[in-house]
Amino acid sequence: MTISLEQMVSLAALAGEVMLKNGAETYRIEETMNHMAKACGASTVESFVIPTGVFLTVTDEAGHTLTVMRRVRDRTINLDRISKVNELSRSLVAQRMGYEDAKGILTSISKERTGFSLLPSMLASGVIGGGTAVLQNALFFETLAAFAAAMIVRYIAHIVSKLHGVQFSFEFLGGMAVAFCGVLLHSIWPHLRPDAVIIGGIMPLVPGVAITNAIRDVIAGDLLSGLSRGLEAALTAAAVAMGVVIILALKV
Amino acid sequence: MLMVKIIAVLLISASVGILYRIPRKLLLYVSFVGMVAWLIMYITMRLGGNGILADFLASVAVGVIAEILARILRKPATIFIIPGFIPLVPGGDAYMTMLYMVEGNYVDGVAKGMQTILTAGAIAFGIFVSSTIFRLIKNYNLESCSTDVRKS
Repeated sequence: MTISLEQMVSLAALAGEVMLKNGAETYRIEETMNHMAKACGASTVESFVIPTGVFLTVTDEAGHTLTVMRRVRDRTINLDRISKVNELSRSLVAQRMGYEDAKGILTSISKERTGFSLLPSMLASGVIGGGTAVLQNALFFETLAAFAAAMIVRYIAHIVSKLHGVQFSFEFLGGMAVAFCGVLLHSIWPHLRPDAVIIGGIMPLVPGVAITNAIRDVIAGDLLSGLSRGLEAALTAAAVAMGVVIILALKV
Repeated sequence: MLMVKIIAVLLISASVGILYRIPRKLLLYVSFVGMVAWLIMYITMRLGGNGILADFLASVAVGVIAEILARILRKPATIFIIPGFIPLVPGGDAYMTMLYMVEGNYVDGVAKGMQTILTAGAIAFGIFVSSTIFRLIKNYNLESCSTDVRKS
């Protein structure tokens, strides 16, 4: 069975779109799209990825060329999907899988609800908060308070994502909520220090993926993506800090 | 107390993995990466090294272990890097910076802020160094492969 140019392009562009939406590095997306289109029988492939869009040009053996562009707006973080698409492209290149299977699996990856629902992610967030408080030599009740504060942060994330929140609004509100928890608990029980609660609570807000991708993009030579992701990380940190500072300033 | 902290680090790394939705069967690996990194930081601090050096060494270790695990398990290295370095993030310094600034104590605030930024920079640069080394190895291998093909 021969694969038409449109089919090649749609498969590779969908793969790129899924990876970009879920927070993959730029060079990984470009390489995956190139490999997938080549595995389907393209003679030359050019791809260009920036954090807000995917561009792909494919030329087939007959010399026909097709270019598509996909704009990506909602970006989340789901490393499971990235690793699945990665595996898919590996098995496509190794000829262990045909076009139809690959297309079906890719569509189901892009649609499925993977990973964990609200309660497990709230618990995970809480554990990050509580664990960080333990590393700060917190006492038992402070650890518990940090656990609760970090859980609240995750709940706010859930609400904000339902309301299609603006960028950085979640980090800002999260920082405010954490600082509010710390200050409130301190005023109820004066011997409970707010430090450990706030430090633990802001830990789930650290932009880990943005930092890592920024570094890896810069190394790979994708300066445009690297700079914008670095800026995203810096602005996220600033938003969290401003949220905390505003509540602390109210107290002082 | 050290044992409790090690367990806390293991739990933190695994939880970061859950929060960023990494494949479930890799959770044990990422908590191992986090623990090794944190222990390197802790031991360096205990031996009298300063915090910036300690974080740098730890994050180089995160990068190296992550790239090796990524080669063995054939997964993106990012999966192992992110949970590995989260326990190293200088949250305490960042909080103290904010507190000093709010209290109007700008001298201490700027000093602490500088320390926070340098520590965060050391973590970023540590990952930068290890990723660069692995990218050089990869490019070198690709080059030697292609020359082999040309010879034959």
